Amino acid sequence: MIKDITIGQYYKSDSVLHRCDPRTKLVLTIAFIVVIFICKNFYAIGLMALLTIVSMLISSVPVKMFFKSMKPIFPLVLLTAILNVFYTTGGNVLVSFWKITITDKAVFTALFIALRIFCLIIISSLLTYTTTPTVLTDGIEKLLKPLDFILKPFNFRVHTLAMMMTLALRFIPTLIEEIDKIMNAQKARGADLESGGIMQRAKALIPIIIPLFVSSFRRAYELAFAMDCRCYTGGDGRTRMKKMKFSLSDLWVFLVFIIVCAGIIFLNIKFVAVI
Amino acid sequence: MNVLSVKGLTHVYGQGTSSEAVALNNCSFDIEKGELVAIIGHTGSGKSTLIQHFNGLLKPSKGQILLNGKDINENKQTVVESRFKVGLCFQYPEYQLFEETVRRDIAFGPKNMKLSEEEINRRVLKCIEYVGLDESYLEKSPFDLSGGEKRRVAIAGVMAMEPEILVLDEPTAGLDPQGRDTVFELIKEYRRKTGSTVIIVSHSMEDVARLATKALVMNKGEVAMYGTIDEVYSRADELVTMGLNVPQITRIFMELKKAGLPINGNIYTVEQGVEEIIRLQKEGYSL
Repeated sequence: MIKDITIGQYYKSDSVLHRCDPRTKLVLTIAFIVVIFICKNFYAIGLMALLTIVSMLISSVPVKMFFKSMKPIFPLVLLTAILNVFYTTGGNVLVSFWKITITDKAVFTALFIALRIFCLIIISSLLTYTTTPTVLTDGIEKLLKPLDFILKPFNFRVHTLAMMMTLALRFIPTLIEEIDKIMNAQKARGADLESGGIMQRAKALIPIIIPLFVSSFRRAYELAFAMDCRCYTGGDGRTRMKKMKFSLSDLWVFLVFIIVCAGIIFLNIKFVAVI
Repeated sequence: MNVLSVKGLTHVYGQGTSSEAVALNNCSFDIEKGELVAIIGHTGSGKSTLIQHFNGLLKPSKGQILLNGKDINENKQTVVESRFKVGLCFQYPEYQLFEETVRRDIAFGPKNMKLSEEEINRRVLKCIEYVGLDESYLEKSPFDLSGGEKRRVAIAGVMAMEPEILVLDEPTAGLDPQGRDTVFELIKEYRRKTGSTVIIVSHSMEDVARLATKALVMNKGEVAMYGTIDEVYSRADELVTMGLNVPQITRIFMELKKAGLPINGNIYTVEQGVEEIIRLQKEGYSL
């Protein structure tokens, strides 16, 4: 059923990574992406891969779920790797026929890039697996707070943006349920949604989209009233029930990351770069 | 004659996944032509899942639904036919309105049946009358109507398919008492004029008693009771354990009967109760 779609891929559990502050996770994810592009040789990226695997294991998210998130990216990785095999020049020639030469450097580069992309995907899905969308938006809001000063002349508030994101995420499941209901109601009146050409199918969607818009507007009005009734006036002077706090686990995660960074720099200097 | 037979119907949501849930478990019953059957049950008892099987919106995990003796899930064609033969009107049907005019919205079902223009027109006129609105409504936008009127237009949209069985899921939910009476009145009228079978899903035992000829009680995905209103309501104690309740007035008269007063039959409405008390007083009982 359409209801079974999960939004935001949060996996409920209670690991160190789940308990971390969303800001820690956001900052470290970005830092990870930067560092992985600094890696120059297989020893360095190997260390990053090790870090990825270790975080994957301590997150207590089933490994199966990571494969699921890698599946759609896989053809892209394969394509990138193949292109790199053929287009990288230099190094010792392994195979050569017609106009194509494949060098050992090309194979290394292809492997290197594939490894890099996989690490990136796993780490970024780890962020969404261990953080609920709402907490994540809260974290983004806090991190972007300094933007308020710069954007003040434009009457822009980071809080407004974050609130919009939170509300949008909140209403996705509601709307899915609504679509399900309306579809059933129109099917009960004999609406045919499954056959016909593209134009006919697009036309068949009208009886679903119009009621959906009508009820979305109604919901938006009601929500606005409800927020007004609870004296919502935007972010200024607003306090939080759940304060974000750096805890011991944040400290640990930061320390591990810094040590890995030091390791990367050391390995980069010590061994020959392949890329 | 049985117009609808349900045989060993089982429905499991999300079969084979971790969130597997049995919504219906081995339900069997027959509905005779011309009856007004009320399906009652607590929230989550499987009422809505059950009725969505009647027109093939949901496929049974096990069991059969026979419409006039034929399995509706035999092939694609029979499923489509069942959509028109069993008119299903969901809860809060006003949210399914989408056309520019009331006329076109009521015509949506008949149009999907590929009927002629004249036939569609005839049905639209007839159905707007069934729901107690006059022809001046036909050219209005459905979004300009009041809540109760919208509800009636939506019901007319289902009636316009001239189904053999009309199924209404909580047709009075969210209406004020007056709107509720109007809807029940129009259902009664519709049945009197067309003689078709009607199934109403409800959790209000008062409403059920006033209208239905038979009641089917669902509990935890199973058919707990099925019979005439009298039969079902006489098992008031069991109903209470299922989170249901017989009408207050019925309970009062049941107690009076136990106390030794010669009360005729069961009393379901206050009006009946008043009559019965007047009758008893005439016979010399002091109440």
